[in-house]
Amino acid sequence: MKKEMVSLVGVSKSFDGRKIINNVSFDIVQGETFVIMGCSGSGKSTLLRLMTGILKPDEGRVFIKGKDITTVGPEELDEVRKSFGMLFQYSALLDSLTVNENVALPLKEHTKLDENIVRIIVKMKLSLMGLREFQNHYPAQISGGMRKRVGLARAIALDPDIVFYDEPTSGLDPVVGGVINRLIMDLSKKLFITSVVVTHDMSSVFRIADRAAMIHKGSVVEIGTPQQIKTSDNPYLRQFINGSPNGPIDFFREDLGIFEELSL
Amino acid sequence: MVFYIKRTIREFSQGIKGIIGLFLNILYWIFLGPLKKRFIRAESVFYQMRFAGLRSIVLVFFVAIFTGIVLAMQSAYQLEKMGAVIYVASLVAVSLCRELSPVLTALVVAGRVGSSIAAQLGTMKVTEQIEALETMAINPVRFLAVPRFLALFFMLPCLTILSDLSGILGGFLVGTRSLRINPYLYMQTTFKYLQLKDIYTGVAKSFVFAIIIALVACYEGLNTTRGAEGVGRATTRSVVISFILILFADCFLTAIFYFSKI
Ligand SMILES: Nc1ncnc2c1ncn2[C@@H]1O[C@H](COP(=O)(O)OP(=O)(O)O)[C@@H](O)[C@H]1O
Ligand SMILES: [Mg+2]
Repeated sequence: MKKEMVSLVGVSKSFDGRKIINNVSFDIVQGETFVIMGCSGSGKSTLLRLMTGILKPDEGRVFIKGKDITTVGPEELDEVRKSFGMLFQYSALLDSLTVNENVALPLKEHTKLDENIVRIIVKMKLSLMGLREFQNHYPAQISGGMRKRVGLARAIALDPDIVFYDEPTSGLDPVVGGVINRLIMDLSKKLFITSVVVTHDMSSVFRIADRAAMIHKGSVVEIGTPQQIKTSDNPYLRQFINGSPNGPIDFFREDLGIFEELSL
Repeated sequence: MVFYIKRTIREFSQGIKGIIGLFLNILYWIFLGPLKKRFIRAESVFYQMRFAGLRSIVLVFFVAIFTGIVLAMQSAYQLEKMGAVIYVASLVAVSLCRELSPVLTALVVAGRVGSSIAAQLGTMKVTEQIEALETMAINPVRFLAVPRFLALFFMLPCLTILSDLSGILGGFLVGTRSLRINPYLYMQTTFKYLQLKDIYTGVAKSFVFAIIIALVACYEGLNTTRGAEGVGRATTRSVVISFILILFADCFLTAIFYFSKI
């Protein structure tokens, strides 16, 4: 039995009375790559924010390596946070710092390592991402794909056990997207990092996932291995995989009320 | 109408609560943080001091010297009628140090530094950089707000003293060139009536103004929502709210100093 790294138990979250995450439960075990897929606005980023402790759930519990992060104090939460990294959808690099300084930041803040050692570690992480020439550039001076890789280098600066990825390949061309997917797989296979990947890109789901969950309007509608996903006859999944505008995922249905609204 | 008043009151009380909360949080990181081995980086404080201080010097100098010149001419216009032109010297110095320097410098710095702090932190908020810091277990208040707070707290009084000197220089130029007062006599009159307490009440005010500017700018920045438009709104709000609070605090402090005969 492998160790559970991330566990959600009946997690719900509402904003302004609207339920965005609805009774979500799953376990992610050590070393696996768990993909959460769903349409834009289905609540994927919110789910990640709940797992990183940026948001507190209204109901339910979130465990990271067995510790309930919904009840811990801020200092303990920070201790937990040092054991995971996160790659943000738009990289979220500090734009006043260079590439080097961005990657060095967690090391400078959380370790007592000598400056030279920090420099070596940063160089190692950046060359793992193939970015050594760009050390002294500012985030605004490099391309979106490079920013993602710098974000990834920063996420693994402290050698985390878990890395969260928010749409790592969205907005990138297919080749760069493939490079990012390869890096995610490398980290997971070579460094045995547990990966939680949020995406709406079907091709990466089949390429990297050990297991995947599909969410729709904040609820898990299916969960399984890529093989099970591929052959599932869940109508939500079928529609999502085929990219069909017709099916149970209906963006227009919510707007049906508009006719009543107009004829007041 | 009632709805707007209700909403304004709610926003106002929320803002006050938030700003006081931020202030306590900043004080925590300055005084209690180091006990828990969470230090503030000196280099980022110095960086912010350079940004807030050095780069405001020229602007503060010009605002003050022109204020001194205008003040000298306007008071000469009145004092000439009483044949007391020489008192231009003390009038300029005392009103600058007690009142005009601290307030004008604070307004200049709120417009120049406060707005850019709000815009920078606001941009960081809407591009998830603040969230990224939190996920890296780096407290945004300690990392971003505290250095800016300390920089303003130390630099605004320095800028105020610079403004005192530049304003007096402006008055001196008018007094000695146009009004033909003997330069030696001008300076003698200045220092005869300008007391130390006039300077330090002004400087004391500027410490309070610095706190206001830093808190308002950081609060507005860190609580920005809704993208680029939100950043614009945070920037404007930080300037408008700082201006109002500075003038209000000035009124309040002047009353305290006046009635307690300081
Ligand atoms: N802080 C918030 N306040 C209000 N609504 C929010 C907030 N964050 C997210 N939402 C809403 O939650 C829904 C899901 O958002 P999100 O998790 O970002 O979706 P995804 O990442 O899957 O595209 C959206 O409809 C969004 O409007
Ligand atoms: Mg998202």
